Amino acid sequence: MFSDQAIREVIYRACLALDAEEFETFMALCSPDFNYRLTVFSPEIRKDMTWLEQDYAGMKALLEMVPQHMTRPGSLKRHVSVYLIDRDGETATVTSSFIVIATDGNGKSSVFVTGNYYDDIDCSGDQPLLRSRRAHLETRDLGTGTHMPI
Amino acid sequence: MPSRDTETWQRAPAVPDTHYVSGLVYSDPEIFEEERSKIFGKVWALACHESELPKKFDFRTIDYAGTPIIVTRGGDGRVRSFVNVCSHRGAKLVNEVSGNTRRFICFYHQWAYDSEGACVGIPQPDAYNETGLRAEDCGLREVRTDSKYGLIFINLSDEAPTLNEFIGDALEPLSPMLTGTELEVFHYQRSEINANWKAWMETNLDTYHGLMHVLLRKTQVNSSREITLFLGGHAATGGSGQKYGDYGNWAAREESLALPGIGANEMKNGDLFPNFTILCRGTVIRIDTVTPISPHRLLVECRGLGVKGESESDRHQRIEHHNQYWGFAGRNWPEDAVAAERCEATFGSGAARHQIIAREENLRGNDDGMLRGFYAEWSRMMGRPANNPFNRS
Ligand code: FES
Ligand SMILES: [Fe+2]
Repeated sequence: MFSDQAIREVIYRACLALDAEEFETFMALCSPDFNYRLTVFSPEIRKDMTWLEQDYAGMKALLEMVPQHMTRPGSLKRHVSVYLIDRDGETATVTSSFIVIATDGNGKSSVFVTGNYYDDIDCSGDQPLLRSRRAHLETRDLGTGTHMPI
Repeated sequence: MPSRDTETWQRAPAVPDTHYVSGLVYSDPEIFEEERSKIFGKVWALACHESELPKKFDFRTIDYAGTPIIVTRGGDGRVRSFVNVCSHRGAKLVNEVSGNTRRFICFYHQWAYDSEGACVGIPQPDAYNETGLRAEDCGLREVRTDSKYGLIFINLSDEAPTLNEFIGDALEPLSPMLTGTELEVFHYQRSEINANWKAWMETNLDTYHGLMHVLLRKTQVNSSREITLFLGGHAATGGSGQKYGDYGNWAAREESLALPGIGANEMKNGDLFPNFTILCRGTVIRIDTVTPISPHRLLVECRGLGVKGESESDRHQRIEHHNQYWGFAGRNWPEDAVAAERCEATFGSGAARHQIIAREENLRGNDDGMLRGFYAEWSRMMGRPANNPFNRS
């Protein structure tokens, strides 16, 4: 079994890879049965919504196309705090909080979105891997949005 | 090709007056104020979809061009709208964006209103005996409300033509998709963007900008597109085929999921002047509305619609199709938002003088006819030509 530190690190490394748009590094942290969902609750229509859902192949294809898109200038920084690590056999269930800071082309930073990650980490192999991630947003106004997952 | 000096740069483009727009329409504060009264104060605008008010006493609140509005379904089943302002001391009456209540009770001094807008409760009323103020004179300000094809519209003007007269035939091409099954909203998202409201609407009316979207460059067949213009600045497009399998790891859409009256890999759009667009991408409908916040800021609200009561797997597929374009990390949406902000960066400061809307392709392909139709109606309602709104020589 991996240490809490090793489990935290897979989450932090995933954020660093997405921040740097190093897609292969990010995918190497995901297990082949990886599943990603970005969810939001809308008080307007009183419904839970899924704003993005991908499996491993879909996420890989989505990320590979990002450089071809005209997206907001600047960068995104995912600031994460791991709150809870619960273990069940070879799976660690991790609850984290994130704040994503957007820095525009002139170097001006502002909060883009905030929410929680609910991750399952597969601990059965020789390194911990992200098996499923639900990113639940508090933020519902996306401004100009992004082509990148959070 | 020579560059231009100050004089030639400022000169109007060498096209007919109807084929270019002055930059002042995006930035001038006087024009912005006039738009709110002369356009947004007179047109029918989408408030919400019927599925957002399924039960008696359900309500939604919206911001419409600076006016807060409550939309509610009364005990008689009829949908009515009111300005969301308490008659007592003017506080915003309802703060929640949705809910269900028989009585709207103001938080401040507890004046109460029923779902038909009547003031039905004033605490400690005797103190008003001296002045003779009566509850029956203190109802909410009702806003005209009507619906078509499940779309609930409001109009701030008591004198404007009816909703049917306003829309005319403009939504006919989309009526099979809107009425052939019962629809419901599964996706709602709002964004404030630093741009004039018209810059957003232009992304829906300017088909030529498909060149900006890598997704559309790969998947959309523009040559077969047909544009229809309607009275009142409304428009519709149809006939453009979509090759979804040509992007990333996507697949073509299955016909079994197609909405009535459209092929799964077909696209039909409808635009109502000034701020409403429906995009029907074969299997899923998206509606967006834009309202002005300031000359330099807009609010866009996006809704995704699927078939009410459909199977979980069909809904899942429809949501995926919706999100490919318009979800978080959707391929098109952020590009339109960036385009609007990039135009604001020049029109907002006055650096850009004009924009050219002069493409003529007999209302096919990437003709600018929808933009010209929009600005013809804008000019008519404003009483100012969009190419020269202050009649400067
Ligand atoms: S302002 Fe609403 S009750 Fe006084
Ligand atoms: Fe676009």
